Amino acid sequence: MEVVSNLFVKDRVAIVGAGLTTFMRRALETPRELAWEAARQALDQAGLTLKDIDCVVIGSAPDTFDGVHLKGEYLADGSGAINKPMTRVYVGGGTGVFVPVSAWWHVASGLCRTVLAVGEEKMSPAHPHPQYVFRYIWDPILHRPLELNLIWIFAMEMRRYMAKCGAKKEDIALVSVKNKRNALDNPAAQVAANITVDDVLKSELLVWPVNELDISPVSDGAAALVIASENVARQVTDSPVWIDGVGFTLDNQHWENRELAFPRYLNYAARMAYRMAGIERPWKEIDVAEPYDPFDYKELHHIEGLMLARPCEAWKLLKEGYFERDGELPTSPSGGLLGVGNPIAAAGVMKVAELFWQLRYEAGKRQVKKPVHKAVANAWGDLMQAGTVIVLSN
Amino acid sequence: MSWDKHGRLHDLVFWPEREEVDKYVYTPGLHGLELAKALVDGKVLGMKCPDGKVYVPPKTFCPDFTEGQLVEIKGPWRLLHYTVVYEDLYGNRLDKSVVVGIIKPDDADNGMIHIVNVDPSKVVIGMELKPAFKPKDQRKGTITDIEYFEPA
Amino acid sequence: MSERKGEVKLPGTKLSAKEMYSLLGLVESAPQAKYEFSAGPSLSKFLQGLKEGKILGKRCPRCGRIYVPPRDYCEYCHVPLTNWVEVPDTGVVHTAVVSYISTKRERLEKPEVVGVIRLDVPGYKEDSYEFAGLFHRLCIDPEEAKKDSAVGMKVKARWKPKEQRTGSILDIECFEPVR
Repeated sequence: MEVVSNLFVKDRVAIVGAGLTTFMRRALETPRELAWEAARQALDQAGLTLKDIDCVVIGSAPDTFDGVHLKGEYLADGSGAINKPMTRVYVGGGTGVFVPVSAWWHVASGLCRTVLAVGEEKMSPAHPHPQYVFRYIWDPILHRPLELNLIWIFAMEMRRYMAKCGAKKEDIALVSVKNKRNALDNPAAQVAANITVDDVLKSELLVWPVNELDISPVSDGAAALVIASENVARQVTDSPVWIDGVGFTLDNQHWENRELAFPRYLNYAARMAYRMAGIERPWKEIDVAEPYDPFDYKELHHIEGLMLARPCEAWKLLKEGYFERDGELPTSPSGGLLGVGNPIAAAGVMKVAELFWQLRYEAGKRQVKKPVHKAVANAWGDLMQAGTVIVLSN
Repeated sequence: MSWDKHGRLHDLVFWPEREEVDKYVYTPGLHGLELAKALVDGKVLGMKCPDGKVYVPPKTFCPDFTEGQLVEIKGPWRLLHYTVVYEDLYGNRLDKSVVVGIIKPDDADNGMIHIVNVDPSKVVIGMELKPAFKPKDQRKGTITDIEYFEPA
Repeated sequence: MSERKGEVKLPGTKLSAKEMYSLLGLVESAPQAKYEFSAGPSLSKFLQGLKEGKILGKRCPRCGRIYVPPRDYCEYCHVPLTNWVEVPDTGVVHTAVVSYISTKRERLEKPEVVGVIRLDVPGYKEDSYEFAGLFHRLCIDPEEAKKDSAVGMKVKARWKPKEQRTGSILDIECFEPVR
């Protein structure tokens, strides 16, 4: 598959500030206020005010969670987008990383010098349960009559991964244990805990092989980034974090027609991003990664899709401690979605924010042991469809 | 380019579906909660921003992203704009037409949308109005605690 | 939130379920939208095929690839798909899971076994990334479905009796193991 290799980029692009709200099951704040809280934090860290921002990018996944359509317009004043060019992006769960990707091209093209990128999600308004909303992503003719639940599809992928690669539930549960433990050091975390593999296996069995503690919770939250061109970045901070590569790909919606053990669409997106960043051997050159982990096996799935481990090898490396914070390639040092929470669009932005702090050695107790130079984050969305990848360096 | 489109509707299968969820529950927000408490007491709140402007209802943050200060709005209220509504949401004719207007208090810089309880022929832009609250035991903290605005 | 100064409190006000429902100023609203989805020319014919007890696929005139479920255009050649073919209703289990919860996240009385079935459609190599398949229920005992032998099991469609078929994906009751 041919990917982009020949790009004329007008200005190098850097992230100069990041902000987060706490991730929680139910928030008092309206969606606008959540977006404002995160955006203000990001601006404070960057030392900028709203006047210095040229453009705004907003990411918010299905409107059907909040019950307010035209989410971009609704969140606009909370994201500082009044009287400014505003773009709303949406690729389901992939939105989280697609927000900085979109902000990247606003700056790289020379159109804007500074961009405020906000990802926000409020899932608690939907009743009886936000998971019910996912019912409406299925094909109405072929799938809905069978009355499915979103977890079925993840269970099917997990089962296929286990069958093809020989991994067992105990091996995969280690991801959940690792991430929830990592999240203990994260002030934004919703479900940080010190659990064991046994706790995971004994938790409520939802859809075999998926247990309650294998999945990330329903959350409300917001996260924001300030992205600037090289000139502005060097004035504002001593340690900008450069966006070296971006990638995004979409597959078809017929997940019943493809091999579920390997995310090919993510692989294409990753190749696109690595090519742009000039990385040829990701498993050697990437120092820290934040793969998207709404379910524990998904982290392994994505690690392989991002070429940080060979297909079917990730679970073996996990057992050896390769992906711990003090391991050779730490993944999800923030605690990931399993530990911190999963507000659909904001989760990916949270991961990019985490890498931003890691690359500036500002992550405090969550800082990984080894020196870090290059990092990669990915998000995944829709019906096994969208892969978005971003490569950062300091 | 040709394709086998028959163009016959009865060849197509239709699937009826209902939208989305059973219901949505919206929280009022930070300043919204304070406004709800004030409405139960029969008062209206607004928000004062660093540049001196006062906004009603209060929104927690100002256009320059700083947090706004809550202030009480005392009025007097004047009608800024209005329109007369003859049909309901489904297109049925209303028995009695309703006047909906934007009503601005003198001590704030913008107005609020609400129903104006005045005969359509007697509406004048700039006329002074006052909020008519429901009886105290019926107030729930939402904007409908003010039943309508009526001539002062 | 960088940890230059130790523990940092982030913005955001948490509420418990009880606190949220007893909030002053809470507004409830139920949407009223109803939809009618059209199946489109390809799926309509596919559903009519199901009513007659056949699984239909569509073949690309240029590359010969057979799509099940059928689409209007070939994904690789971008030409309209025109040829209808009947495909066997047998296949191999690609993956299978056992569900204990319903769509609304309530416990089911009887667990349901569902999975992806790779149909025996000619033209795809055995280990190809893409294949023709269907997502459906499996009539396998839940404990059998959890064993390693379930993946790769040969299955066949169990059709509903002719008078009960209405032209929907549920005309196939489930896929059951071939004896």
